[in-house]
Amino acid sequence: MESWQTRFKTAFSPSSRQKYWIWARQNLLSTWSNVLLTLVSLGIIATTLTALGTWIFTQAQWEVVTVNLRLIFVGRYPVEQIWRLWLVLMLLVTVPALSWGVMQGWGRRESAWGIGGGAGLVGAITLSNQGLEPTAWLCCITGIALGSGYLGAWSQQQPWGKPLKTWLPLLWFLTFFVMLWLISGGLGLTTVSTTFWNGLLLTLLVAVVSIVLSFPLGVFLALGRQSQLPVIRVVSTGYIELIRGLPLIGILFMAQVMLPLLLPPQITVDQLVRAIAGLSLFSAAYLAETVRGGLQSIPNGQWEASRALGLSTPLTLSLIVLPQALRTVVPAIVGQFISLFKDTALLSIVGLVELTGIARSITSQAEYLGRYAEVYLVLGLIYWLFCYGMSVASRRLELPSGS
Amino acid sequence: MTDAVTNVVDISASPIISAQGIEKWYGTFQVLKGVDLEVYPQEVVVLMGPSGSGKSTLIRTLNGLESHEKGSIIIDGVALTQNPRHLEAIRREVGMVFQQFNLFPHLTVLQNITLSPIWVRRLFKPQAEEIAMQLLERVGILEQAHKYPGQLSGGQQQRVAIARALAMQPKIMLFDEPTSALDPEMVREVLDVMRSLAEGGMTMVIVTHEVGFAREVADHVLLMDQGQVVERATPAEFFLNPKEERSRQFLAQILA
Repeated sequence: MESWQTRFKTAFSPSSRQKYWIWARQNLLSTWSNVLLTLVSLGIIATTLTALGTWIFTQAQWEVVTVNLRLIFVGRYPVEQIWRLWLVLMLLVTVPALSWGVMQGWGRRESAWGIGGGAGLVGAITLSNQGLEPTAWLCCITGIALGSGYLGAWSQQQPWGKPLKTWLPLLWFLTFFVMLWLISGGLGLTTVSTTFWNGLLLTLLVAVVSIVLSFPLGVFLALGRQSQLPVIRVVSTGYIELIRGLPLIGILFMAQVMLPLLLPPQITVDQLVRAIAGLSLFSAAYLAETVRGGLQSIPNGQWEASRALGLSTPLTLSLIVLPQALRTVVPAIVGQFISLFKDTALLSIVGLVELTGIARSITSQAEYLGRYAEVYLVLGLIYWLFCYGMSVASRRLELPSGS
Repeated sequence: MTDAVTNVVDISASPIISAQGIEKWYGTFQVLKGVDLEVYPQEVVVLMGPSGSGKSTLIRTLNGLESHEKGSIIIDGVALTQNPRHLEAIRREVGMVFQQFNLFPHLTVLQNITLSPIWVRRLFKPQAEEIAMQLLERVGILEQAHKYPGQLSGGQQQRVAIARALAMQPKIMLFDEPTSALDPEMVREVLDVMRSLAEGGMTMVIVTHEVGFAREVADHVLLMDQGQVVERATPAEFFLNPKEERSRQFLAQILA
């Protein structure tokens, strides 16, 4: 891999400028009709971009976003408890940085990404006039994340560092519950009801929990569909086909509106839990079909060799078949997770005030009535950032494939 | 390498493999039509025959990879049924090597070999790895231990597959056309390993077309045709003086 500096240099060297000119002449300007088409296209692109640029920099009133930034991120979470969410963010950045350091090492590129990301956020926060406190938190979090990345890399050169690698999943597991405790309170912290968890906080929480729950469920459904036992096979197939034939919004309505009618009045299930259950159950059916494709791509010889060695069916599945099957469908699974992340927007319709929900309530504030474009543009940017992040992460996951 | 391997076959012992009247159908097509097979400890039996004669199916019924509809199979005193517990008990004692190697591509050579000793025999990892390294040395590819199967040649892969089967310390080894998928120059390295196994007294059932190997190593050769055993003889008798007309035809074809 050449560095971006050399790529930059070759791209703008005189010889390659000549190359681009030749390429343009051959592809864009080869005939009169092509010249015309190129000019028209350039015209359209230029008008659109200038219009967009003019709107962003002169007409748009970003005040609606900057004033409501806290609402967008954490909604109506009590202001005096927000330090807890800053700690959650710190964990959310530190643990992945530490893991990355342990697994892949920590070099200049990682530091550049970390500092760049931190600086970008600090810049955005400062531009939007949020005061000193968020800036201080962000600087602090960036510093700690970089430190833990280096710590992770350094630990692998130490004799005590090797076990750390095997205990990383446990660390993630524990971190999740610590974060949940920080958000919800209890055990010495003030309890914050789930109705106050809004905005990006709620979107991320619902998406992460639904992803984590739907993955094993999807794998079990896929295995169930392949099962030798007719009862399990019929139940799994029936479930998958039923769910795939229903719209997600219908399932969410069912969970929010019909479930309380069906359950006895003493039993109440938190609205958030119902939403997560609906999303996970929906996503699991689609994941199951993806995983089944992976299972079918494993040649029969692998099963035979494993059986001939005396391995039982559960061992064959968990040691031989699933590791290979899942690796082949990583891109499709991540695609599934990305669409699950975006599907959380539907929760705003059933009364959960997540990212889209908070945007709807911001645009109905009396003083910012009609400022849809600014709010939804930022909204789109936030969704895109997370989805693109997942996509990039999945490409890195596919790389080390044991050749 | 012309001197014959002299195996000490203990005829007074009871057979370690005893199959009686095996019949098997694929739908309406009968693949095995009442096959009897007895193999004594430390004996090397080679199955030969034209393709479609049922020899591969027969060897795969011996560890339950294929079920049989009629007849009985007793391996080292345990009756082979579709009961998973019996099957797993039998498969611990019977190693198998496949035509297509069937190594696990996501595991290193060492992990391929230690997997079953660790998970089935419940050995500790260091112990399993020590056994694996000894076996890799025996099959002559010690230096490949940490590579993945995809990085090895066909011959090396097949030798890993043999080491993997041996790591379970089986009493019987089944070979299903172990050299048929190999380039000619790699056949020999695999046959050498099998030869030294036979010299070490391993009980082996081998499906192969390698006449030279069968002549030299086998205690008995079985010729199968259309789901039946046509002739069972020592290699000397079978190759020089076959009793059955069908055997003479077959030999004429493969030796031509």
